[in-house]
Amino acid sequence: MRQPDDLTTLRARDFWGALVLIMGSLFFLWRTTDIPLWGNSNAGISGISWYESAAIVPLGVFGAMLGLAICMLVISIRDGGAQFALSAIGLGWNAAEAWRIGTIAVILLFYIGSLVPRVDFILSSGLLITALIYGYHTGNPRRMAVAVLVVALAGIYALVAHFPRAEWNAPQDDDWVTLLMWVLLTTIVVVQKKGSAVMRAIPFIAVLVPLVLVTAMAFGFRQNIPNRGGLLFSQIEYHYYVTLRPMWRK
Amino acid sequence: MEFLFAQLAGFGLQFVDLVSDPITYVYLITSVFLGILFGALPGLTATLAVTVLTGFFSNKIPLDYSLIALLGAYVGAIYGGSYPSILLNIPGTAASAATAMDGYPLAQKGRGAEALGLTTTASFIGTLIGTFALLIFVWLLLLVSQSIASPEKALLALFGILLSGTLMSEDLVVKGWIAGMIGLAMAMVGLDPLLSEPRYTFGWSYLLSGFQVVPVLMGAFAVPQIIESLRHSGTAQIAQLNGRILPNLRQIRAHMPTIARSGVIGTGVGALPGVGEDVAGWVSYGVGKSVSDEPEKYGKGSLEGLLSSETANNACIGGALIPLLVLGIPGSPPAAALMGAFRINNIIPGPTIDPEIILRVSAIMVLASFTMFIMGLFTARIFIRILKLPQTVFLPVVMVLTTIGSFSVGGGINDLYLMLGVGAVAYAMNLLKYPIAPLVIGVILGSLFDETFRRSLFLADGNPSVFFSRPGAAVLLVLNVALIMSQVGFVKRGAKRIWSNVT
Repeated sequence: MRQPDDLTTLRARDFWGALVLIMGSLFFLWRTTDIPLWGNSNAGISGISWYESAAIVPLGVFGAMLGLAICMLVISIRDGGAQFALSAIGLGWNAAEAWRIGTIAVILLFYIGSLVPRVDFILSSGLLITALIYGYHTGNPRRMAVAVLVVALAGIYALVAHFPRAEWNAPQDDDWVTLLMWVLLTTIVVVQKKGSAVMRAIPFIAVLVPLVLVTAMAFGFRQNIPNRGGLLFSQIEYHYYVTLRPMWRK
Repeated sequence: MEFLFAQLAGFGLQFVDLVSDPITYVYLITSVFLGILFGALPGLTATLAVTVLTGFFSNKIPLDYSLIALLGAYVGAIYGGSYPSILLNIPGTAASAATAMDGYPLAQKGRGAEALGLTTTASFIGTLIGTFALLIFVWLLLLVSQSIASPEKALLALFGILLSGTLMSEDLVVKGWIAGMIGLAMAMVGLDPLLSEPRYTFGWSYLLSGFQVVPVLMGAFAVPQIIESLRHSGTAQIAQLNGRILPNLRQIRAHMPTIARSGVIGTGVGALPGVGEDVAGWVSYGVGKSVSDEPEKYGKGSLEGLLSSETANNACIGGALIPLLVLGIPGSPPAAALMGAFRINNIIPGPTIDPEIILRVSAIMVLASFTMFIMGLFTARIFIRILKLPQTVFLPVVMVLTTIGSFSVGGGINDLYLMLGVGAVAYAMNLLKYPIAPLVIGVILGSLFDETFRRSLFLADGNPSVFFSRPGAAVLLVLNVALIMSQVGFVKRGAKRIWSNVT
């Protein structure tokens, strides 16, 4: 069997991409049948014609997407993509790259899905910055594993302990767990810094960036920020209104 | 002539108004600095600069300041991309990819400072040419656009999506069109614009109002960039910078025809819906090479080649604002982010736009280009030092910036889930070499297309002839069909055969 070149690898990926697009288009075409096309009442208006229906443009869009996806499938088969579609080499599978992307995906998933809604923004962002710089600056897979582990532990605790929306702003035990993970990771960074300027800078960047951002957004731009009842921000907000503001108002 | 003077007088009033406000300078200097920074750091793009600042400034400060911040960042970022192109041979933004062809060989010959000085001047003049075109042509187009009705708007939106898909595709054109269709499909989510029928909400009330623009932009441009670039990348080898950066006036004068030609090309390419600064740079570079007396020097350190791409990519900004302001169709991906900012501020770009805003935008562009010019000449060495900063340090910071920016615009965690979801799709698309810009243009133009297409049919009692019985619509329909047919194999071959017979 011949070895795939870059174009064949891309076409092998395109083969799967086209199949996903075909399935997606068919699914949404089926969902579009829920939208009345003609004769029925639409959003409380009865007797509408086909050209007034809310389904007409989506039908065209998903129909066009289905047609284009079939074209893509034909191109990928013609260029030899289907031949390599089931082999790891054909798809250009790279275990190191998959590990890198997979760990970043898990970190981002826990950060957005679990930490930002439930944990103080300064703590969760500080942990994220520390984990990403430490984990990916040198490209060492073991560091990536440590980074994903600390973020996942903090994220899983927040998810399990305070899953319902009603508890997002309530108790702060998940804040303490995140802080603990952050301190733990920072300790590892400090111990392992070995004279690297980047490693030395991590704790400063991780503390200053979220702190400046959150205070600028909340008190400068007067904008909503995630989790106002968080461990650190609740204190900052309290002292802003109770200690600082009365001082300059006088 | 009277029209021209009236325009210039209106522009002058806006300019004086801006110059006399001290706050203007704070936003101008900060945003141009941030723009150059984003452009100069490989891994961050001009679109990302405008997108991130949209999250921060679009609805939190008065519109004037918001426009200064976003346009300043746009101008600065397109120019900033030239630093790593010349000194590292890595384009800071896609727009300055052509700049690296001649910029880096010049830097290797010890002429890096000269190259930087010339690109700064060329970018400045290019921005002014684009702004002048914006000031003049936007009014002519506005007059024409008064007669544009729903059928023309629908066909124009479709043309923008198709053209963007055709020209932005790195691999197959069909991929660009699929990306555009995915964007259009995303715009179908929520209550439909005519009958308020819920579509594809799956019972989730958040989706009733459709996808919000800012989280989509952040997801499409920031998240894939972070995933892709967060890797070990050694220490950058920066070319030595000798001599003075201040440009030689005689040299500028000698290259004025190249600068003027590239400015016009950049503006023209920018005015095409959905086509960005990178295309402008390459087209201008290609034209420059074909008309040059010394084409053999291109790619080996030609000043002409350097100026061709750098003037065009900055001139493209003014051009890209023309369709945005006149028709509500962004001329480039960063202009799509600007469109998001307009929408957040309840400004609907198009034939009914307030003329004051166009004059204001022109005045801001001129101020931004002056700020960029001064910063480029006198603070270049600071930006060169920043080039040494590894991507693994600033990308996590960008992730936090996009998260809080996305959250504060919509005010909800759901926007963050949307951002992450769009980011995952965009990353997969990047991996498969699908362009992202047509997707974003599709999301932005989707509701316009949906509404105007159905309104056209409604007013014509379902008669599709409405799309070719009006002259404007007929021309646009022909353009759409020609664009599609030009990519079909047998049509291409047939056209080539006919052309060879004719010639």
